[in-house]
Parts: sequence; C-alpha cells; structure tokens
Amino acid sequence: MLSAMMRIATPILLAALGELITERAGILNLGVEGIILTGAFFGFFVVYRTGSIPLALLAAVLAGGLMSLIMVFMAATLKVDQVVTGLALNLLASGITFYWYRVAFNSIGATPTIEVMKIAKIPLLAEIPILGEVLFSQHLLTYFAIIMVPMIWFFINKTKYGLEIRCLGENPRAIDIKGINVTRLQYLAVAFGGMMGGLGGAFLTVVSAGIFLPDMSAGRGWLAIVVVIAGNWQPLRIILATLAFSFFDAFQLQAQSLGVEFPYQILLALPYILAIILLTTSRSKSEAPGHLGLPYNRD
Amino acid sequence: MIEVLGLRFEKREHSNRLWQASMTLLAIIVALLISGVLIISAGPNVGKAFAGLYAGAFGSWKAILETLVKATPLILTGLAVTIAFRGKIMNIGAEGQFFAGAITGYWASTNFAWMHPVLHFFVIILSGFIGGAVCGLIPGLLKGLLKVDETIVTVMMNYVVQFILSFLLSGIWQAPGEFYYISSPVPESVYYPVLFQNSRLHVGFIIAIVATIVIFWLLQKTRLGYEIRTIGLNPTAAKFKGINVSQVIIITMLISGGIAGLAGVGEVVGLHHRLRMDISSGYGFTGIIIAMLGGLNPFAVIVAAIFMGGLINGSNRMQIFSNVPTALVYAMQAIVLICLLTFQVLANYRIRRVKVVD
Repeated sequence: MLSAMMRIATPILLAALGELITERAGILNLGVEGIILTGAFFGFFVVYRTGSIPLALLAAVLAGGLMSLIMVFMAATLKVDQVVTGLALNLLASGITFYWYRVAFNSIGATPTIEVMKIAKIPLLAEIPILGEVLFSQHLLTYFAIIMVPMIWFFINKTKYGLEIRCLGENPRAIDIKGINVTRLQYLAVAFGGMMGGLGGAFLTVVSAGIFLPDMSAGRGWLAIVVVIAGNWQPLRIILATLAFSFFDAFQLQAQSLGVEFPYQILLALPYILAIILLTTSRSKSEAPGHLGLPYNRD
Repeated sequence: MIEVLGLRFEKREHSNRLWQASMTLLAIIVALLISGVLIISAGPNVGKAFAGLYAGAFGSWKAILETLVKATPLILTGLAVTIAFRGKIMNIGAEGQFFAGAITGYWASTNFAWMHPVLHFFVIILSGFIGGAVCGLIPGLLKGLLKVDETIVTVMMNYVVQFILSFLLSGIWQAPGEFYYISSPVPESVYYPVLFQNSRLHVGFIIAIVATIVIFWLLQKTRLGYEIRTIGLNPTAAKFKGINVSQVIIITMLISGGIAGLAGVGEVVGLHHRLRMDISSGYGFTGIIIAMLGGLNPFAVIVAAIFMGGLINGSNRMQIFSNVPTALVYAMQAIVLICLLTFQVLANYRIRRVKVVD
C-alpha cells in the first residue's frame, strides 16, 4: 500500500513543486489540472506512436510548458484575470485532448463505452520490450520528484534566482527597480511550473495507467494547488502534505482490492473535504506570496 | 501606451459599448478560425464541418428547438456565474451546484407522490434550488464569515458532490439490474411539460427565461443588486458605504448556487427523467464561458447560451457530415473564452494609426 501511495503521490508532487515556483513568482496558475491532462495525453500519444519513453516525457514536458506559456502570456503580458485564465486553460486542455484523442484513436464510434474498449486493447504498451523500463522509470520519476524537493528548497532559499523569484511574488516593484525584467522572470517561473506539471501528467499515462482517458487528471491538478497551500509554500512541507493526501486514495484502492464492502467514494472525497477544512484553518499563519494572483503594472 | 506596426494603443478613459461588442464578435470569429485549424488537424474538409455544425444547430425548426433544449441548462448556469461574478465572487462551483440540484430534485420527484401535481411541480423546482443553494452556501459562509478564498473551495465542492452522486448511484439509487451508474426513472407524472409537440423542449426553458428576468431585475432594480455591483467594483469602498459585505456575499452565493441547482433539476425532470453520472457535460464550466461571453449581462447570457447550445447540438451533425469528432466543440468553447479574454484587453484600448515622420 505504501508503494501505491508513492505512485499516487508522484504526479501531484511534481505538479505541486512546479506550482510552488509559479506562485512564488506571483502568478496563480489554476490551470495545473489542464497542464497535467495535456502532459498525460502527449506522453501517451508519443509512446503509442514511437514507443520511446524518453521522447514521450520530453513531449509531455514541452506540452506542459507550452500550456503554461498561454497562462503567463495572458497573466503577465495581457494582465487578464488569473483565475479565469487558469480555468480557461483547464477547459482548453479538457476539450482539446478529448478531441485529439478521438481524432487519433477513434475510427469505430463515439460512445464512451467503446472508448474504454479501445483503451483496453492498447496492451501494445505492455508488449513493448521496454516494459521493464516502464516499471523502472516509474521509480525514476518518483525518485526524481523526491530529489526535486531539496533541490527546489535550495533553489528558492539559497540561490540568487530563487531569491529574485521569491521577491517577485512579494514585491514585484522592488525587482523592477533593481532593473530585473519582471515579465521575463515570470515567464521562466511559470514555464518551469508547466513543465513539471506536464511531467506529472506523463507519469499518469506513461508510467502508471498505460491508457489515456478523457479528463483522467481527475482533480490531481487541483490537489496540487491545495497541497501548495497546505504545505505553506515550502517544499519540505509540500511533500508531507502530498503523501497525506495520497494516503486516502491508496487506502481506498487497498480496501477495494481486498473486496471490502465499503463506500469507497467517501475515501475518494476525503482529500477534497480535508482541503476545504485546511483552507479554512490555515489562513492565519500563511506564507502566501503577498502579490499572488495580482498583475504587476508599472504605472 | 504601446506602439506596434504603426498603430498606437492608447488606454481608453471610458470603454464604449459598441466597441466592446464588436471585440466580442471579433473574438468569436478568431476562435472559429482557430477551430478551423483544429479541424484541419483531423484531416477532413473544414467547410463541410462548419456547414454540418450550422445545419445541426440552426438549420431547421427542429434543430433550433433542440438547440434551445441544450441552451436551457446553460442559460441557468450562465446566470448563476453572472450574479456571482458581478460581485467579484469567483463561484467556480456551478458544476457541483448543478449536481446538487439534480440530486435533491430527483429525491423530491420520487417522493411526495401524494401531492397535487401542480404543487409537486413547484416543490420539485424548489428542492432543486435548495440543493444548489446549500452547495453554494458552504463556500459563501466560509468566504463571508471567515474570508476563505471561494475559488478553490467551490472547485473542491464540485468533486465532493460528484462523489456523493456516485455513491448514491452505485448504492441506494441505482436502478435494479443496471450495471451503469444510473437511477430508476422518475414517475411520468412529474415530467416537465413539453412546450412543442415532437420536441424535447420543456418548461425548463421558460423557467430559465423567467430566472433571467428575475436576475436582471435583482441586479438592476433592487438594493441587493446595487450592493452586489458595488462590491464587484470595489469591496473596500462598499464597506465604507455601509454595505454588510459578508451578508451580501453569503446571499449571493446562495442565489447563485440555487440557480445552478435549477439547471440540474431541469435536466433530471425535464429531459433525461433519470439521474445519472453524465447528466452534465460540463454545463457548470460552460456557464462560466457563457457569463463572460455575455459580458455578465443577464439577457446577453441567453444569447451566449443559445450560441453554445447550438455548438453542442450542431456537433452531432458535424460528426456525421465531416467525421470531425463532436469533442471539438468542447475545445471550441475554451478557445472562445481565451480569445474573448484576449480581445477584452483590446477593448480597453483605442487604436490609432501613427503617421511616420521621416
């Protein structure tokens, strides 16, 4: 069950670490859900077409990065409302991956039941001799996510760029006055966030499931956002929060596989209920970047 | 002030309505062009796809009626988002509130069989409203009383409500012998009456129109509406004007959730006559796009909802005509929103040609 918990935690952790950098730079990217989904789709698609896992991960990272560029263009350049932009990103990802999925894999019909069958017959992934590597790379990505925790901690606390990004989220004017290009730094931070989210998405298809389903991100992006809040914008706490949230899901899977008669939906809903409670109780000691979600205008 | 390609963009003092409307139109046109590119990625003929889309949406009286069927829940979710966004309350929870209304509405329609049909009809509508309202009230109370950010709470509520629905449909409400997450039908006596013979357009459409008028009246002609709009413009100023901001937020979320709940109960009792997991095709989220497209104006919401309803309805014909998957319209909806957000920025600017002096 612990290994299941790690598996469930990996994509959320990857996306959350990306979102941490994004938010530290003052941009509230609520499009994580869509970024994960896009990464999941392109990861799946590239493996299906080429059989190459590294290429798939690269594609997912690029796709996630590209999605986040839309976000940061709207937020930092056009200065559009960030909440609505993030939602637009989610809807775009949901629609476009669903559409391309149908275009690429659907020559039979359009009912959801056929979809499942179509997916079920992609053990092609399993037949690729790289299977061992797929399993191995699951661990690789999980290890990568864990290693990223101290690295990101080091980055934001001990490096010049990290300090600049932190400052950007608190007081962008100070960064501007120092002669640092605010917009450029925001683009970099958000793009990094998107790439991490894309990688998290790739984990879902390429490593974990082996299939793609419409909207298969299933709330993981939102949990990543919550985990950043629950982790008080600090990497070390974020990993703890992620593991705590993943525990319920793993427990639910375990209970179901043991055939225990149990309304598993309660356990599935628990992280979201917990999130609401957390949001309610954790406001007072918040380390939230002061300028989070607000556009920076020079004049 | 920005100068590009001999054009100068100046910030407008007052944004003019006609200019804003034309920017909205331009956004839709650009969105359609981008969608055309997406269609090309599928291969087939773009013209055929759009022709199919149009024919399926507005090509015949029958198609128009079915478009209105699709528009019915969208008008309501669009209104739900409109009233909240007018007060700058980011209610992203219309999807969950829709489901909550569907759940309570289904419950009311399978109970109270002893009531007079007319009374039962109103009780069902009211319970749909209450279901959505309760679902909106929770984030409303948290925001109003404890200043908890409503954006994420409403999203979390969406998931919680869907798990509750899945719990009900895999348990006590699952139709006997059904493998899928689907309930037994509601009694025929509670079906919303159909407006035209041989169509599926039901009384829910009238309810949506009435709700639009009520929301318009509420926003423009009542004290509450004035307070909502004032908070939307400037919450700090609203406080100084003696407005009880917390109270207004709570009431607004209650109404917003309730309206979305009406959409949910309408789909159960008016259209599908069953409760099922896939009763919403993201109507709550489409409501956000519709509200933005309608410029947060209730009557414009009807137009935007009919446009979106047309897209959804026309997509079937499009698939038959050109083999382009119906899923395209969900991408189109989002593209419309992104284009709209982009062009709205332009709407705040005045474009002048700059004479180049050598």
